[in-house]
Amino acid sequence: MEKMLNLARRMRTRPDLRWNLLPLAMALLISPVLRAQDWFKTETSTGAGTIRMAAANFKPQSPDPQSAALKRTFDAVLYADLANAGLFDMVSKSLLPTSTPGSPSEIQLPQWSGAPTSAAMVAFGSLGTQGDHLIVNGFLFDAKNTQFPQILAKQYNEQASDDQARQIAHRFADEIILRLGGGVSGIAETKIYYVHLAGGAKEIWEMDYDGANQHPVTHLGTTSISPRVSPDNSRLAFSSLDRSGFQIKMYSLLLGRMVTFPSSGGTNLSPAWSPNGHDLAFSSSRSGDPEIWIADASGGAARRITNRKGPDVSPVFNPRTGAQLAWASGGTNGIPQIFIMDSDGSNITRMTDGGYATSPSWSPNGQFLTFAWNRKYGPGAPGGQDIYIMEVATRKWIQLTHDNGRCDYPSWSPDGRHIVYASSPNGRMDGMKIWSMLADGTQQRPLSATGSDMPNWSWK
Amino acid sequence: MSTRPANPHPAGIWTRHRSATTPALGVDLTLAVLLHAAVVAALFGVALLHPHGKTWGDQNPVAGSIQASMVSAIPLPPKPVVEDKVLASDSPSPAPITAHEKTIPPPTPRDIPILAKPTKPLKPTVDHPPTPTPPKHAELKPPPPTKAATGETSGMRLAQSTAQLKNGTASITVQDRNFGARFAYYVDQVNRRVSSEWLTQTADPRASLGKRATILFDIDRDGVPSNIRVETRSGSPTLDISALRAVQRVDHFGPLPQGDHITVEFSFDYVQQ
Repeated sequence: MEKMLNLARRMRTRPDLRWNLLPLAMALLISPVLRAQDWFKTETSTGAGTIRMAAANFKPQSPDPQSAALKRTFDAVLYADLANAGLFDMVSKSLLPTSTPGSPSEIQLPQWSGAPTSAAMVAFGSLGTQGDHLIVNGFLFDAKNTQFPQILAKQYNEQASDDQARQIAHRFADEIILRLGGGVSGIAETKIYYVHLAGGAKEIWEMDYDGANQHPVTHLGTTSISPRVSPDNSRLAFSSLDRSGFQIKMYSLLLGRMVTFPSSGGTNLSPAWSPNGHDLAFSSSRSGDPEIWIADASGGAARRITNRKGPDVSPVFNPRTGAQLAWASGGTNGIPQIFIMDSDGSNITRMTDGGYATSPSWSPNGQFLTFAWNRKYGPGAPGGQDIYIMEVATRKWIQLTHDNGRCDYPSWSPDGRHIVYASSPNGRMDGMKIWSMLADGTQQRPLSATGSDMPNWSWK
Repeated sequence: MSTRPANPHPAGIWTRHRSATTPALGVDLTLAVLLHAAVVAALFGVALLHPHGKTWGDQNPVAGSIQASMVSAIPLPPKPVVEDKVLASDSPSPAPITAHEKTIPPPTPRDIPILAKPTKPLKPTVDHPPTPTPPKHAELKPPPPTKAATGETSGMRLAQSTAQLKNGTASITVQDRNFGARFAYYVDQVNRRVSSEWLTQTADPRASLGKRATILFDIDRDGVPSNIRVETRSGSPTLDISALRAVQRVDHFGPLPQGDHITVEFSFDYVQQ
């Protein structure tokens, strides 16, 4: 949240569209003094810094080699989850004290709060196996509060497996982030759904938020694109090619099979769930021109929302209110721009002022849009496609990715602090990888191998 | 129009009728004149022959009553017959017999049989792995008194958490001092959250320099702030508004670790950067 607010304040003013003034504007931009004025930069929140967090290696309770392997997984995942949260200044493992406390009676807080560790918070505990059970005791201590240091004590008891060790670490990290993150839940237990290209077919795959546990969801043997998971994580809507063209398909994650969704004429693309899970917006050309339609979650009562010349695709609901939609509209010249409207089709507002803008995604608090934008689009133009975010109220924007190839399909995480997107260094589709970054553009890291595209972050 | 008669003047009809009676006219006329003359003569004759001695209504005791008789054939409404015998009855009618309702006696406790409790089938005991002993919580100590033990000086009231910002200081005090000591991390993260939402550039730098605005608000058990108000005005309205907005921008702070609600006092000090 803090990062996002920094962003809001660093938003750049919307560039003027008076093209006859372009040379003058370029000259002004080159001048460093005037360029500084072009950016709003206030540093109010820099003083309220991040929390220095030490994640200790957990103490092994049983000496068998199985628990040692589980402990390695657990320690690494817990450290990575806390580092990925974007909230903490993590103490490097090499700066930790040599002791590994396993319980509150064993920890010496001055060791942790003093230099060189200088931690404000310490996460520690013990891990052991009993039979085929993995038992983890996790603690979070406030190293600065000598009288009442304990914040959190958790106990987990699961099947002893590498995946469960990973899941326990995710759950413990989410508990810590919920306590210290200003009331925003963590994302360590969320999933990312994406398109995986293998052979000639594109299937829908699922992975953990950190790229682990990649596995296929559908086995249709055709081209399936744009997966969107429902807000309660029960169903997956996507668009799939069959004999009558691209149709909206529905997969039940609870039943583990396809469920029916009515097909119609024309090309049906890019479904999007309303935040209450009752409605599904999508693009359909059943009436000739691709327009935005909204149907209920079972496909009934479909109604057309837009009536515009040119294609209208990629709708996305405002997850805060559910009363607005953002989408990409081709308009008269066929070059897509981002628009927003109310969910009944009124109050259409254009957001982007030029270039080639696609794939909008709305931040969970409703304040920002992120989308892929090629600002210098045209034959011979130097531009590349990158990820931008824009504040909806002011239409100020900021560029998040630079020189990272062709980026597309951004999707916000449910905590509003992360964005997942697809990027291809050579610009070709088969080189696409899924990347994750903080919503201010830092901590970019790849999650998947090549051949992955169109990520969608689950709602919780 | 077919309904209209062809000749609008019906004189023809009368003409034909008259022509048919014309021959008897002289005889009839003579008879009529004679008859009238006879009637007039008779009237005069009677008037002359009638005695004029007595007229009605004079002082004659014999004659002079007028009888008027009602015609009994007109059906008049019958007179109501007054039954005036009720109160004069010698033998009063007997009072109606009212039957008393019988109340059902309440059941005695023995009437309702008490069913024996069904015995629960015993659950097969499963060998759970022994759970480790839960960690002990640190015991709550009452907060140190805010008054000095000796002398009359009151204790210093320090803020529980302070954040140094670029051009300001945000400090927070939870009125429940026990909560503030026990859950310092929560107070700390509230402070971090609010101060990250404080946009100091919305306060007028010259008017706000060195001023302090104090905001008071409650946090309920879900972490939602409510009842946000300015406790102490700084003297700079822009600083008051910017401080108020900082708290209002926060949706929720995360659930309270303990208790139903806490009251938080938040001070914003504006300093020159």
